[in-house]
Amino acid sequence: MDELSHLIQGFSIALTLPNLGFMLIGIFLGVLIGVLPGLGGANGVAILLPLTFSMSPTSAIIMLSCIYWGALFGGAITSILFNIPGEPWSVATTFDGYPMAQQGQASRALTAAFTSSFVGALVAVLMVTFLAPLVAKFALNFGPPELFAVQLLTFASFIGMSKEPPVKTLLSMMLGFALAAVGLDSVTGTLRMTFGQESLLKGFDFLVAVIGLFGLGEILLTMEEGLSFKGQRGRITLQDVLNTWKELPQYWATSLRACLIGCWMGITPGGATPASFMSYGAAKRMSRHPQDFGRGAIEGVIAPETAAHAAGTSALLPMLTLGIPGSPTARCCWAGC
Amino acid sequence: MSTDPPIQTRWIELLVAVCFAVAGVVVVLDSQRVGNAWGSDGPQPGYFPFYIGCLMLAGAAWVFLQTCWRWRQDGGSQVFAQAHEWRLMLKMLLPTVAYLVSMAWLGIYLSSSLFIAAFMVWQGRYSIVKSVLVGLCISAALFVLFEIWFMLPLPKGPIETWLGY
Repeated sequence: MDELSHLIQGFSIALTLPNLGFMLIGIFLGVLIGVLPGLGGANGVAILLPLTFSMSPTSAIIMLSCIYWGALFGGAITSILFNIPGEPWSVATTFDGYPMAQQGQASRALTAAFTSSFVGALVAVLMVTFLAPLVAKFALNFGPPELFAVQLLTFASFIGMSKEPPVKTLLSMMLGFALAAVGLDSVTGTLRMTFGQESLLKGFDFLVAVIGLFGLGEILLTMEEGLSFKGQRGRITLQDVLNTWKELPQYWATSLRACLIGCWMGITPGGATPASFMSYGAAKRMSRHPQDFGRGAIEGVIAPETAAHAAGTSALLPMLTLGIPGSPTARCCWAGC
Repeated sequence: MSTDPPIQTRWIELLVAVCFAVAGVVVVLDSQRVGNAWGSDGPQPGYFPFYIGCLMLAGAAWVFLQTCWRWRQDGGSQVFAQAHEWRLMLKMLLPTVAYLVSMAWLGIYLSSSLFIAAFMVWQGRYSIVKSVLVGLCISAALFVLFEIWFMLPLPKGPIETWLGY
């Protein structure tokens, strides 16, 4: 029970009044960053890093993690209300979150999103505490072939999950690969497809592609339907939160599966994005009513959010045990310590 | 207005397929330029992009041919958008394209003010003074936020150079 006493000791440090204050500030700033398009978690943590220079290391990492979590949740807000994912791993949340918001269930979707993020993160923290030494050994064996297998599985599940003809999914994926190939070749250092444009040296940023595809697409569609552009109403009352919490335990199987997928993908450096897509796919496959997915099924919000946050948290494991950050944001946090 | 024929999905399919084919050709040609073979030290820079481009070309060709095969059978029954919806969409799309092109010369802040003001006058029917003011204020706020506070350099034009940035 050595681990348990470590855990309690950790909580006793984290739950002191100044640290709780830093958490509040961190989460507030994080949500702000997450909702602003174009400023993702990694940028936000990097920009706000100077704020932590005068703090003790413990408070600094507490505040940086809170900014990170706030940014993650901010990404979920825009996914559900505007259909614009703020981060790669909230793309899967839009599939069912936005339809739910359109049906006037925005508060239900938001509650499900933040509760499942909490569950996913909590399970991952427990897992990190108890399994760290064992897992660290295993993670060392995870090399390029395993990474390739994980990515292949993810891309295959895109084609399997899509409602569109496979050729079109494949075409879109190839366009994505082609955009990712623009810029400096990391092996030879040759410039690919830059055509003399300096700004293309670093290639296309993911966020640019996402905002172009989802944001502009949504605006054009709204224009076409002759409506003024507006997000879905996102008022949350305590009653909505309590009602949603009452129905969440029914979906324990979905949450459990999502936690397992998330922890697994977080430790083996697959990352949060494949985790959220795979969890969504698994929830759809094993659901008793798969036809509801994509039209506002609450499991479609629970599954990707739980998995993404479980993966995000367990990605801290390789960082803390091996010193290898699992994500760009984790790298910024690492720099802050 | 309702007498105009609707935009048919089959034409859009062809248009998108052609766009993908053009992108595929660009990828393949540039991969040829940097080398698409397996060199003595491993894959050359264009090795993977070359096959990505080939797959794009093949996929685009498949979509194009499939649309042509089903042309008669479809008979224009699949509607992509009604004519008036299409025109509304273009009202948004064309100014956005103009905005993007002007950004290269005018910088992001000036073209944003123009874009916002023009949209408020043209679509929202606000008064010109109000629109210009709102446009300038938003650009100024964004300038302070990104350029001074976050220190993120964004595309700038002659006005910013004149101001000393």
